[in-house]
Amino acid sequence: MKNSTDAPGASRKVKISLAGVGRVFQPTSKRSSPVVALKGVNGEVFEEEIVGLLGPSGCGKTTLLNLIAGFDRQDEGEIIVAGKKVERPGPDRMVVFQFPALFAWLTVWENVVFGPKERGENQKEYEPRARSLLESVGLKGREHDYPYQLSGGMKQRVQLARALLNQPEVLLMDEPFGALDSQTRSQMQELLHDVWALYHPTILLVTHDAEEALFLCHRIYVMDCQGEIRETIHVPFPFPRKFDLIGSTDFAHLKYTLLSALRAEEEKPDCHKQVGEKTQEGGAI
Amino acid sequence: MRIKGKKHRFQAVSGLASFSFLSWLTVAAILLLWFLVTAAGWVSAFVLPSPANLWSEFQVLVANGYAGKTLSEHILASLFRTFTGLGLGIALGVPLGLLMGYSRIAHAILGPIFSFLRPIPPIAFIPLMILYFGIGEFSKVALIFLAALYYVVLNSSAGVRTVPQDLLRAGLNLGLSRAKLFSKVVFWAALPHIMTGIKTATAISWAIVVAAELIAAQAGLGFMVMDATTFFRVPNVYLGIIIIGLIGVALETVTVAIDRKLLHWMGR
Repeated sequence: MKNSTDAPGASRKVKISLAGVGRVFQPTSKRSSPVVALKGVNGEVFEEEIVGLLGPSGCGKTTLLNLIAGFDRQDEGEIIVAGKKVERPGPDRMVVFQFPALFAWLTVWENVVFGPKERGENQKEYEPRARSLLESVGLKGREHDYPYQLSGGMKQRVQLARALLNQPEVLLMDEPFGALDSQTRSQMQELLHDVWALYHPTILLVTHDAEEALFLCHRIYVMDCQGEIRETIHVPFPFPRKFDLIGSTDFAHLKYTLLSALRAEEEKPDCHKQVGEKTQEGGAI
Repeated sequence: MRIKGKKHRFQAVSGLASFSFLSWLTVAAILLLWFLVTAAGWVSAFVLPSPANLWSEFQVLVANGYAGKTLSEHILASLFRTFTGLGLGIALGVPLGLLMGYSRIAHAILGPIFSFLRPIPPIAFIPLMILYFGIGEFSKVALIFLAALYYVVLNSSAGVRTVPQDLLRAGLNLGLSRAKLFSKVVFWAALPHIMTGIKTATAISWAIVVAAELIAAQAGLGFMVMDATTFFRVPNVYLGIIIIGLIGVALETVTVAIDRKLLHWMGR
């Protein structure tokens, strides 16, 4: 286990590399026109880095995450994760969904070990890791519960443990705390940092919440309404970050800068263009 | 949170217990009303026999049977037809429904058949069944099979098509092959719908077997009701109807229990 707690330096390995990534959604009916969801997106995420993808709703954040996860294919450009071109979904890129996609008919334990078990991996290897992961996300003693017995925050803990057990190259989180109440959300944000301090996963976090991005990330990509990355913000606060941070002047100042940029973007006339995206996306897994 | 979940279940169960008392009260009230109406002589004993009269007729029926067959032979005849048709309908309907839900091609090919069948009540096929297969066992079993198949296919395929996209993505994300995605995720996520189909098919099958026996049969509860009507053996008509109703309630109870057992993870 490494002791580094600060933002990764330039010498770190690149885990996600995006080169000129574009995605256009074809019209679903004759009346609508094609929607450019992403346009020439370039960027990278370094090993052990937490990078936020922040932008107004409908700016293509989730589209980009789905491309990296392999749920969808880009029309242009290349996505490379840990040296491999992304072609299909796989456990090297684990997704934490906004609405916990847990298997309701399996217990917490069965949900967590599902991946390695179904891939026929060595039980003696993954079971001890599953136990310590469940402990680090605070689910010890809940192994035999079914998802319906868990609160929203608990379900997200299960998703996090399930994802990390697969030892992914990158963790892709899609508004993971967006559906939680503010109290639980702030607890989960701290928990994510605790977990990061233990396992140092590389994380790409999609969020529309500027405060969440500032609190959690080493670096933030701000997207604009054209589906492009507009700027990169380095978040200077040292790890481990605690709740008190959001009360500091520096934090408030950075948050103001970020929110102003987002507001300016939201007010542009061609924002919120992707009304038809959901329906077309529904077809592809 | 766990305690809260458990508590909810407890409340639901105890709540059910106190309400079931009301249900028994309804049954008692109907029996009492029946007794009063017949004892006061407000309706003719020919049209509505008294409870006591019906009870003694029941004992005669148990002792002597009806139309050369014992009561249990009539009951078993109806149950055999129901379970054979229902069993075959489920055995074929579940895989067919899952296939229709999973494959757009299968849905496109088989869809029109089921859309056409939708508005037709199954008993409308009784004359055709008799025309095709005669008045023997086969025509009744075939009719029940078709009705059960229809409800099971429709619900199973709906179950597959309503599996949330994120659940499929989670499965693929964890490295499942298409075949494993189907057996480990799609099937389970569709199971609540499949069970709804099976429950509906069971209730419908029992109703249809009686209808089929009303028209053409030499045994069975439906035959007994129809035959007793023809010969004005009114107590036997009532007894037949009551037995049909009680067995229907028993079937419902059993399917609900199976449903609860299989779907305990839904936390109902």
